[in-house]
Amino acid sequence: MRSMPLAAWICALVACLNAASWSLITPPFQAPDEQAHFAYVEQLARNGRLPTSSTQEFAPDEQLAFEDLDVAGVSLQPQHHTIASEAQQRKLEGDMARVAAASSISDKGAAGVAASQPPLYYTLEVIPYAVGAGGGVLDQLALMRLLSALMCGVTVLFVFLFVREALPAAPRAWTVAGLGAAFMPALASICGAVNPDAMLCALSAAIFYCFARAFKSGLTPRVAVAIGVLTAAGLLTKLNFLGLVPGVVLGLALLARRTAQELGPRAGVRAAASAFAIAALPACVYVLANLISHHHALGIAGGVIGFTVSHRSISGELSYIWQLYLPRLPGMRVDFADISPPRDLWFNGFVGDYGFEDTFFPRWVDNLALIPALAIAALAGRELCLRRRELTRRAAELATYLTLTVGLLVLVGASAYLSFPSEAAAFPEPRYLLPLIPLFGGVLALAARGAGGRWSTAAGVLIVVLFFAHDLVSQLQVIARYYG
Amino acid sequence: MMRGARVAIVGGLALTAIAAAIVLSGSPQVLAGSNGVAAVIYPPLASVSGGGGACQPDETVPAGSSAIRLSLEASAGPRIAVTVHSGATLIAHGESAPGWLGRVVTVPIEPIDSTVHQATVCFSFTGADERVSLLGVRTPRQGAATSGARTLPGRIAIEYLHAGSSSWWSLASEVARRLGLGRAWAGTWVAVMVAALMAAGLALASWLILREAR
Repeated sequence: MRSMPLAAWICALVACLNAASWSLITPPFQAPDEQAHFAYVEQLARNGRLPTSSTQEFAPDEQLAFEDLDVAGVSLQPQHHTIASEAQQRKLEGDMARVAAASSISDKGAAGVAASQPPLYYTLEVIPYAVGAGGGVLDQLALMRLLSALMCGVTVLFVFLFVREALPAAPRAWTVAGLGAAFMPALASICGAVNPDAMLCALSAAIFYCFARAFKSGLTPRVAVAIGVLTAAGLLTKLNFLGLVPGVVLGLALLARRTAQELGPRAGVRAAASAFAIAALPACVYVLANLISHHHALGIAGGVIGFTVSHRSISGELSYIWQLYLPRLPGMRVDFADISPPRDLWFNGFVGDYGFEDTFFPRWVDNLALIPALAIAALAGRELCLRRRELTRRAAELATYLTLTVGLLVLVGASAYLSFPSEAAAFPEPRYLLPLIPLFGGVLALAARGAGGRWSTAAGVLIVVLFFAHDLVSQLQVIARYYG
Repeated sequence: MMRGARVAIVGGLALTAIAAAIVLSGSPQVLAGSNGVAAVIYPPLASVSGGGGACQPDETVPAGSSAIRLSLEASAGPRIAVTVHSGATLIAHGESAPGWLGRVVTVPIEPIDSTVHQATVCFSFTGADERVSLLGVRTPRQGAATSGARTLPGRIAIEYLHAGSSSWWSLASEVARRLGLGRAWAGTWVAVMVAALMAAGLALASWLILREAR
């Protein structure tokens, strides 16, 4: 194993600091579904069991915090700001202290939209929840957010390492990728909240790194086990990880074939089999436990998946998913009449979509952002053109990354199709694509190199400064939204 | 190479600082007035699919209004076109960008010189299947909003915005105070900590870039 460069640690530290800053500026429970994620952890910590209901009937102490903070009045309504008077603050503090001192707090086992999610992230969050128990809900939430911020650091660490493996001849570009990801506000904002997406990003980045390493140096038993463990952890973290599974399967199959060609069939089969066995183990245990307890084999998630597959026509769904990411083809039904999803949902969303999906930049900022985005894309494209021979040689590796990407896009699209047409795009939030952040880091690294020769250093520095500036104005926008 | 990196950092950060200073010298949009109607979410006044619109009479549009905030709900809302009429005279019009989400959409209009009473605010949108919900309160038919030939069951919540007179700079201490409320360890230290975290991140990144450029 190569030693970890200091630059990787610095990038990770910068990411942690940035996410910690976001955890402070985002008002409590104003991050996407944070109320439900907090309730899930509360269930695990207090009762030692998974949530049993997806209603919004959260525990009384959490409800009290919502009321005192006017969470419902503020979210999705940019005209309403957070509490502003000392009297409101005193009432909040008094209520929190009173509830924290209560010996028992009843609840109904509800965790809202989070109830169907697997438990690994929430289990880890029980630790800061328990540490902050004496101070009440707000103390616990602040500490839980910091654990998510640490996961941001892990994500960026693996983005750096992924780019190091994928582009070994460009050491300065690794730092550009690492710092670009560290200052990426979409990542930092979600890692500054209680949300399993933070851990999903870290695990996904680690898997990308493992594949980059395996395609470069071979599928050793150690890397195979690591991929298996990471896949198992991903499946236990968030259902969205299912979108990455086809890519993991393809990657392992391609690597096993290559290992078999180099070291013999047994070596290839053994390495891939160990990864598959480890990856499948938690899912098998989960299904078995559900069947033994006479529940749906997939637990509370079974209903969601059943609804998904029985919802509507396959061709309509494929057309919808296509249009969600790409321009509509002739003959396709018009699913988005007045919006361009690639531009209006995804690009603008990555430029700025914060808080409870209610904090955006003015349109001119989205338009302005097209200039650097196109410049980065052009520089990265130039570099890819220059290295097209290498692309052919690394086709299997690229096919794995492509399958990881397409799998996630299809999963997000299929989920969005559930609420279509009553809601045009209820599910597609940019954060759901954050598990692909290693590829984003790769694009930044390619762009820095694409500037060529003596310009590559300046281009790399300007990319980092651009992301810092984006992060800074994004934080100011959120501050203006909630406290202005 | 080191010199190039240093120039790029200093130049980039100087541009960032100038841009931030310009933005903070501007004024936030503030509420100029509203029709006093609450935006009741459940049930909405109407849910419209495939394009539509509505007109609401008896609105008072304050002088200086430069944006109208309509209480509409959508997941990826279509472009919303707004007109303000006084009798048959068009006073102002504007259009939002598409792709908005949430429970309000803000539509910029050309600033209105003087307060307009008894104005009629209309909005319209085109779309495929996506649903746009109109939020407001139920009222008697007289004075209710209309959608085509149909009278809606109430009035839609509408707010009027104009540019405030105070710059963000002058509001900084108040914003810092509010940033410190509603959290675990309340106090203005929160704003200081945010600034310190960002400064530390920037310092580390700059140091790393210069180190790598050697």
